[in-house]
Amino acid sequence: MGLDYKLVLWNKYKKTYDKIIAASMLLYIILFAAITLIFNSETSIETIVIRAFGSLAIIMLHIILVIGPLARLNISFLPILYNRRHLGVSMFIAAFIHGGFSMFQFHALGDVNPIYSIFTSNMDYGSLTNFPFQVLGFFALLILFLMASTSHDFFLGNLSAKVWKRLHMFVYLAYVLIISHVFLGAFQQETSPFTIGLLLVGFVVLTMLHLKAAFKESKVDNTKALEKDGWLKVCEVDEIEEDRAKIFTVANERVAVFKYEGKLSAVHNVCKHQGGPLGEGKVIDGCITCPWHGYQYLPGNGQSPPPFTEKVATYELKLEGSTVYINPEAFEEGTEVKPVNC
Amino acid sequence: MTSGQRKAHKYIWLLLAIAIPLVMIFAVKDFAVFSSKVTIEATVAGSKKASLKSFENDIVKTAVFESYIEIILKATLKNASSVVYEMDEKGNKTKVIGQITTAGIYEFTINNLPKGIIIYDDLKKVEITKFLF
Repeated sequence: MGLDYKLVLWNKYKKTYDKIIAASMLLYIILFAAITLIFNSETSIETIVIRAFGSLAIIMLHIILVIGPLARLNISFLPILYNRRHLGVSMFIAAFIHGGFSMFQFHALGDVNPIYSIFTSNMDYGSLTNFPFQVLGFFALLILFLMASTSHDFFLGNLSAKVWKRLHMFVYLAYVLIISHVFLGAFQQETSPFTIGLLLVGFVVLTMLHLKAAFKESKVDNTKALEKDGWLKVCEVDEIEEDRAKIFTVANERVAVFKYEGKLSAVHNVCKHQGGPLGEGKVIDGCITCPWHGYQYLPGNGQSPPPFTEKVATYELKLEGSTVYINPEAFEEGTEVKPVNC
Repeated sequence: MTSGQRKAHKYIWLLLAIAIPLVMIFAVKDFAVFSSKVTIEATVAGSKKASLKSFENDIVKTAVFESYIEIILKATLKNASSVVYEMDEKGNKTKVIGQITTAGIYEFTINNLPKGIIIYDDLKKVEITKFLF
């Protein structure tokens, strides 16, 4: 790491995003504590902390999981995707406080190792109804810790985007563990159906949005293009807005055909940073700019401007009359391709 | 996302859409009382008939009739599971009669006059109350 290494490359958007996260979390905790004390003044501080941070963590997890499909269905949700990782780390902190206090309250006051106690205090592993739900929460917290600790771009750069993405898809396993943890915990310890009802609503909304976004993407993937002498028809040149792109599917992969300064260039649609859709971004200062986190690439060769080293594949285009065609064979990442004048 | 990642997301959520409701359904079904054959009926009014035996404490008021037991739960219990069992002479629970939930009046059909009743939390494995007739 160099002398000018900074842990987080702050900008005003990130600062605003984080302030909103911190203020919302604080407001929730205060409201939760106040409402609990109004309706049940005998509730202990430990119980309030455990319940407030536990419910906060699960609400935040739902928000985190809903951002992806919402941004794919409607680009107006892109701003909340911009700093999702900070939301994820904040959620882990809430879950960690919940888990830490629970472990202290229920497992650390005896003469048995608290972690051993989590696994042995309820041995009814054969029953689904009475399953030791705290074990599920423990494993979910481990996954969240793994994700929070590798969320920094340092790990993204060193692990590669592909490995990093696979690692972070464990969030779905964490979600299953958490939803089972809360469902069984509420079922075993509460008389009110409120918690289970909210959990079910959250699950239904999440599943519907993810599946709707997935089927929308599948429809785009399965679009068949007209072929002419080995070239695929993309669209009419007028269909592409200035400094914007038309996203086109070539052999199941997305390609973004950009129009800028009277020229056309095509690059692979997937940003090397976190897989953002480059074609949904725009050309700013002569560079294709990813809508997710602002990573940039030169349209002519798919390379990030120095000193950055990211590269995406490029494609050859041709214009016949006003119709844009693409050669489906991709060039090596970062290969210079002469733009087509339009 | 690459096409592989898009497919992975799609199949993961299809799997979750099926698996999570199944886990929830089986968790509830596994609960012995819900899967028992006992008929549970709640009524809104107490019986005016003369009872064979009766008992009352801070938690419940109960009366035994020829073919049913009436239990009046005075306040909703904090226990998530409150299962009513028949009790034998030794004070052990034997057959499930039914389950009580919120405060109110419950009627449970019986075939024979039990020696007593135990209200038991099947999840926490604790006895809530019991009484001999």
